[in-house]
Amino acid sequence: MTLALLGATHHSVPLALRERLAFTTEQAIDAIGRFRDIFPGREIVLLSTCNRVEIYTAGEQDAPPPTADEMVRFLADCRGLNAGDLAGHLDCQVDQAVVRHLFGVASGLDSMVLGEPQILSQVKQAWAMARERDSAGPLTTEMFQSALRTAKRVASETAIGRERLSIPSVAVADFARGVFERFDDKRVLLLGAGKMAAETLLYLRDGGARHVVLLNRSRARADELAEKLGGVAVDWSRLDEELALADLVVSTTGASEPVVDAARYATIEPARGGRPLVVLDLAVPRDFDPAINSRPGVWLYSIEDLAAACEANRRKRQREIPAALAIVEEETSRFMAELHHRHTGPVIEQLRAGWNETGEAELERLFRKLPELDSAARLEIRKAFDRYAAKLLHRPLTSLRHESHSGPPHGLLDALKRLFHLED
Amino acid sequence: MGDFVAGISVVCFAASYAVALAFEASRLLFRSGVRGAAMLGFATAGLFAHTLFLLWRAINEPVVPLSSEFDWYLLAAWLLAAGSLWLTVANPKTPVGLFFLPIVLLLIGRAEMSSRTPFPQNPATQAWGMIHGSFNLAASVAVAIGAVAGLMWLIQAGRLSRKATPLRGFRMPSLEKLAILTSRCALVAATTGAAGFLSGIVLNAVNQQQGLLETVPWNDPVVLRMGLLVAWLLVAAVVSRVLARRPEGTRVTASLSLVSLVVLAASMVWGLVGPTRHGKSPEVVKADAAAGDTP
Repeated sequence: MTLALLGATHHSVPLALRERLAFTTEQAIDAIGRFRDIFPGREIVLLSTCNRVEIYTAGEQDAPPPTADEMVRFLADCRGLNAGDLAGHLDCQVDQAVVRHLFGVASGLDSMVLGEPQILSQVKQAWAMARERDSAGPLTTEMFQSALRTAKRVASETAIGRERLSIPSVAVADFARGVFERFDDKRVLLLGAGKMAAETLLYLRDGGARHVVLLNRSRARADELAEKLGGVAVDWSRLDEELALADLVVSTTGASEPVVDAARYATIEPARGGRPLVVLDLAVPRDFDPAINSRPGVWLYSIEDLAAACEANRRKRQREIPAALAIVEEETSRFMAELHHRHTGPVIEQLRAGWNETGEAELERLFRKLPELDSAARLEIRKAFDRYAAKLLHRPLTSLRHESHSGPPHGLLDALKRLFHLED
Repeated sequence: MGDFVAGISVVCFAASYAVALAFEASRLLFRSGVRGAAMLGFATAGLFAHTLFLLWRAINEPVVPLSSEFDWYLLAAWLLAAGSLWLTVANPKTPVGLFFLPIVLLLIGRAEMSSRTPFPQNPATQAWGMIHGSFNLAASVAVAIGAVAGLMWLIQAGRLSRKATPLRGFRMPSLEKLAILTSRCALVAATTGAAGFLSGIVLNAVNQQQGLLETVPWNDPVVLRMGLLVAWLLVAAVVSRVLARRPEGTRVTASLSLVSLVVLAASMVWGLVGPTRHGKSPEVVKADAAAGDTP
């Protein structure tokens, strides 16, 4: 039984090549079919995301594994590339390394953004597609189920995916949420038309924000954005009035000078009635004078502040790596031990069958000699024979299980075969 | 069952709360999957034992809750422990117990230093006694909750000012929620504190009329400390109200709530020193006087 992986990931493959290697759903379905034709009896799961293309294959001994060259040629053919162009970029692994890699991938440990959760659903999708196409067999099914369990453990037992890493999500979840309990009764003011403002608004909308006002120096652009993002567009000339009414400002104008300086804010402040104001200044150069931050009730965050917070979160995630890797290693060992133990199945079955056959023959002889035994007594004797056989088998089976932790227990299996004249 | 309940001592539930507090404090040091359950388990066990202890006293002692200083402090601790447990379940990411359980333990400690002798009562004064004790209890609990909310507000505001991301296991509620809680507690503490003081004056007058208890003079230490506490709570509530529409208002209210807790604690410590006629029968006062312990 062999496991193999051919992978092209963001670690070793440049973006341009990754783009050419990526599979659409239809292409992936076609590739799975081709693989089954070329390598009958082998299981395959194809994982294709923007950061990785990985082919996981598995099979029993009677389905010989494809060589690394065959796998590379297959991938190149599928994507219409020259196999030589892929040389040095692809990563080929077998057996335990494949399992360890998949478990790490599913847990987000191999992702470009450490601990990101999307990869888990992509792994699930890849496995689901393989099952739909009947290309996932018992080995890949067991491996992917274990991968999902590992990812779940990593997510629940470490904090690797908990800290937010994008500026809009940190701005809303870690800062705006720290000030406001709810957004549905807050007035959100969007200044400018930056892309990040739109992303931030998505997070605010998820949090319940309903009252959104958009201001842009170009009224036409403000109207366009209001239609696209939802909200009310107003004239730029109303900036002071809107600042007096707003609870949360997201600012991304392209102005070269601060749009709101300290003196201007001082004239607006009395009209705010002491309400707190959160300003997410995502513009470069900044739209709000940093001096405004010293005003009571103002919580001003520049893009630099938010980027520093993201970096701090990234470091927090990195500190979780050892704990996550320990879980991956533990689950890999457990999976491999189970896999190795499967080798012993046929031998154990033969051993059991042989002992049962001998036991049955002896019982028949005994019952013929003692015809006076009633059915209850016969049943008790039969049970005693079974218990005796089970106890005799217990120690060799335990030894086999222990041996499986360090690899397929070939030595013990050979010994058993020779001692008890079992067939291969 | 009766023997089991009778065997519950103050140490039993105080120890449970202390262990729950230790688990809560360990949030800051390391992650653990079972800590939350262990903390809740000990806090619940403590509250259960605490409840049984109070019920046992109410059933078997010739007293009702609030009828002795000891019971009053234990009931205040029980209210805060129950509130802490409820808030912990509702906000598992916030270390609520870290703030409330020390106050609960201090109240239990103060109860242990208090007299278990019930205040003398008759039907005419019992109702006023209950009203007086209940209002004072409500004021004290409101001060404690307000102070916790105020402290959380200051911690959260500090984090937001430093532009730091939340500490793992130390996520505070929003400033908005904490500000509302702090300001409401200031109002409740001032009104119930004032009502407690006024009902105490009425109770004193009824006692004087009935000749049941010794009249408590205006310069009695208990009257003075309660008067000062109520005066402070009224000032804090008025200042909080006046500054409500100013940007710095919430920070001032949060700070005042902490000062209120300090004043309350000082008032409780003051209760330990100096003789008083508060809650004593004329016979006890005479006995105290004979022993040289003159109020």
